[in-house]
Amino acid sequence: MRRLAEVLRDWEAVIGLEVHTELTTLETKMFCGCRLSHDDEPNANVCPVCLGMPGALPVPNERAIESIVMAGIATNCEIMRRSMFYRKHYFYPDMAKNFQTTQGPVAFCMHGRLDLEVSGIGAQERPDGTTERTADGSYVTPIRILRIHMEEDAAKMVHVGGGEGRIGGASESLVDYNRCGAPLIELVTEPDLRTPEEARLFMERLRQTFLTLGISDCSLEHGSMRCDGNVSLRRRGETELGTKTEMKNINSLKSLHDALEYEICRQAEVLEGGGRVYQETRHWEPSRRRTVAMRMKETADDYRMYPDPDLAPFDLSDEFVERCRARVPELPDAKRDRYVGSFGLRRADAAQIAGDPAVAALFEGAVAASRGGVAPTVANVVVNLLPGHVLSAAQVSGLSNLLADDAITFAQARELLEIVEGTDADPERVVDERGMRQSTDVGALETIVDEVLGRCADQVRQYRDGNRKVVGFLVGQCMKASKGTGNPKLFNQLLSQKLGE
Amino acid sequence: MMARLDTLPARQVAAGIAAGDFTAVEVARASLDAIAARDGQVQAFLQVSEELALAAATRIDAARAAGEPLPPLAGVPVAFKDNMNLLGTRTTCASRMLESYESAYTATCVQRMLDAGVIPLGKLNMDEFAFGSTTDSSAFHPTNNPWDTRRVPGGSSGGSAAAVAAGEVTVALGSDTGGSIRQPASLCGVVGMKPTYGVVSRYGVVAFGSSLDQVGPFGRRVEDVALAMSALVAGGRDRLDSTSQDCEQDYLAHLDDPIEGRAVGIIPALLEAEGLAPEVRAAMQEAIGKLAASGARIVEVDLPNMANSIAAYYALAPCEAFSNLARFDGVRYGYQEPGCTALSEQLSLSRAHGFGVEAKRRQMLGAYLLSSGVYDKYYLAAQKVRTLITADYQRAFAQVDAILMPSSPTVAWEHGSISDPAALYLSDIYTISSNIAGNCGISVPVCLGAQSGLPIGAQLQGRAFADATLLTFARALERACEMEGAVAPACAGKGGEL
Repeated sequence: MRRLAEVLRDWEAVIGLEVHTELTTLETKMFCGCRLSHDDEPNANVCPVCLGMPGALPVPNERAIESIVMAGIATNCEIMRRSMFYRKHYFYPDMAKNFQTTQGPVAFCMHGRLDLEVSGIGAQERPDGTTERTADGSYVTPIRILRIHMEEDAAKMVHVGGGEGRIGGASESLVDYNRCGAPLIELVTEPDLRTPEEARLFMERLRQTFLTLGISDCSLEHGSMRCDGNVSLRRRGETELGTKTEMKNINSLKSLHDALEYEICRQAEVLEGGGRVYQETRHWEPSRRRTVAMRMKETADDYRMYPDPDLAPFDLSDEFVERCRARVPELPDAKRDRYVGSFGLRRADAAQIAGDPAVAALFEGAVAASRGGVAPTVANVVVNLLPGHVLSAAQVSGLSNLLADDAITFAQARELLEIVEGTDADPERVVDERGMRQSTDVGALETIVDEVLGRCADQVRQYRDGNRKVVGFLVGQCMKASKGTGNPKLFNQLLSQKLGE
Repeated sequence: MMARLDTLPARQVAAGIAAGDFTAVEVARASLDAIAARDGQVQAFLQVSEELALAAATRIDAARAAGEPLPPLAGVPVAFKDNMNLLGTRTTCASRMLESYESAYTATCVQRMLDAGVIPLGKLNMDEFAFGSTTDSSAFHPTNNPWDTRRVPGGSSGGSAAAVAAGEVTVALGSDTGGSIRQPASLCGVVGMKPTYGVVSRYGVVAFGSSLDQVGPFGRRVEDVALAMSALVAGGRDRLDSTSQDCEQDYLAHLDDPIEGRAVGIIPALLEAEGLAPEVRAAMQEAIGKLAASGARIVEVDLPNMANSIAAYYALAPCEAFSNLARFDGVRYGYQEPGCTALSEQLSLSRAHGFGVEAKRRQMLGAYLLSSGVYDKYYLAAQKVRTLITADYQRAFAQVDAILMPSSPTVAWEHGSISDPAALYLSDIYTISSNIAGNCGISVPVCLGAQSGLPIGAQLQGRAFADATLLTFARALERACEMEGAVAPACAGKGGEL
């Protein structure tokens, strides 16, 4: 198969996403009072309603409606004042009533839009000349959202006795109804995405947005956020859409990118070989980095959709929508811009911190506890040191103050982090107790520099011959000689001075 | 004091217990005794819940002994259509599919009756899943009309109407999707009311047509029905049924209000309709005369779209039925075909062998009507007709407080004498439109047919949520017709002494 970059020069990929998000932060299911939980014993959280017992009726969870309206507001959707639930029929044991309660032609949220900022290597997936770019090669592309609708999740089925948990060859199928009736929102994009990177970024943006709204834990790995990608190819310049395939089993942002990349290249090979792309559902196999056909979709299923007579149409009041709007917190883009504007962060750092509400809260807490002007150092700590560790905002602030004062090196900061992690120790006090504070006594450092220059005549000669890089080696020697207490920046300055003389 | 249970109004049962004339356990035993003596012929019951009945009665007697205030229907014998869940009983919907299904919880309507102090005597026969108007489609046995056991009691709540007409219980609950309370009430000579959609909670009542179903009471007196209605709305809106409304009130408060000068509508074309038995037409004329003699103004009104109501109903109801009955697949409960090795085989054979003919016919019809390409033509068209019929009623009820018409075009017919399902569907002509519009209706016995000697009911329909007004007119009609409290003669006097 040809590589993506080559394929996309000849072909335009048309990609749309369907993203299911379970509203995991709610306490109860969509239409009954059962607890929402993934950790309980199978079939612990069930009742007559979600088990579809005779005579049971659904009662909508108002908090779930608030969540979807917030999602719609955050993605610039039109909030439909009147919409209703429909019944979608299919016979399968994962849906206790043999119909799923979902929405019809009008969803709670319609016609939204997110503007994607694509930069870095990912921006190169789009061939030059197909979009307007800034000097650094990045571009902004609007992605329209068709709708976000509310529905209930199906039960989890476990097939036992067959291969890889698949139904084929299984001797028994077990059903766990804990998830049956869990509140789910489905977002459908217009087919506006053109590269796997754009799809990955869109998904990342959506995940960050929903996390910030606090409506879900958004775990792709554990399935609380699930994404199906649809892709078709057409020759550049063509306006007709090609036949699409649908990608399932995407459980990470990387999988989404890689599955689309594989599928685009596969379709190109099929089409270039004179073959035909079949409308089908394909399964992404991450271990073998390929998609395989699951089932053909030649004819549309007839779900016999009709308005659910047990659930009256929703008439959302202005007051309700405004209440939801008031609950939408500062979103990642606005937060990023504020970090750049007020704190002078680098755009990339600002975007990374703003994308995760927990990280952003820690960052802001640490900045508030630090001296003025330290924010970029706090950002540096948060972005480059902290991933994988848990520190309090005060500790992050302490580390950042030390770094900003050149009292410790970055390497020492890493060491210090491991010492204070999991305790309530103050990094500044630990540094003093352990004598880790770097010396800024120029006189003492000069003595060390002179000693090092004296015994490293080879490197001094190399430097004078134009190899400026040996300064790094010399700084290292100074650090060693000072047993790590010297300030490397000062050493560097002193060395450059003396070598330049 | 000696009394016959089947002659006592519900109020006197409760008052007798309160006064110490008899105990609730004695009432429960009298009711069990009447069932034992009469139900062999009538076959209204699918299950008699003797233990539950005696336990409830014992609680009432203990409460009285402790000097506690008694609830309004304390000790009144009641039974429930078998599509209503009651813990401790099976809920079969008269279907093989649910033959051994034990209720997992208690329906709100049943619970509210229990909270009002009733004694639960058991579960009553019905057409399978409420599809029918004879009770002959019960998978277990037919029910016989207590007035003439060769005849049907009507349906689908035939067991409920028959148990009350036979004097086995004082009150019964039924459900009405297209006339399933009012038609059997008429055929069995008792009072049966379909309240306005939303007045009584549907939670725990196995759904047939969710937008049409409504639970209501049967009694031998309008007053008993009003008492039961008050119990059904006590506590207000049921938060488990999102279509239910807060209608808490005392339906006895205005029961005996005069109707002088108030308007009752009639629809002349309906009274001249083909297929209306002459003795039923005569009974309607007589009832109109008596209402007029009571001071009501008789006003001609029109429901021009009523002629399309049967067509609309048989487009809407099967769609909802198909969808509501989809859950019966034998996976979690209910009939499961033994020996299957594939899921699809198990699903289809369980459904093929668990459901009877009419239940399958309605579901097949619904599956067809909802399929793509067909949906717009029938389901959507029927919804438009629904809007038109609702508007017709609004216009009519701007002029009158109640509309009088037959409940059924004929008196009770013999088992098996009508075999064409379409002919049976057409017998719902007078009742269906109020389910479509969602307003209230009640059937009140007005006389025995001049030819047949069988009971004939007149139906009064009222505007949505004016259920109390409807009961006022029903009580006035009852007073004028002097049919109050009638027990089918063949049953009266058999067992049930207090």
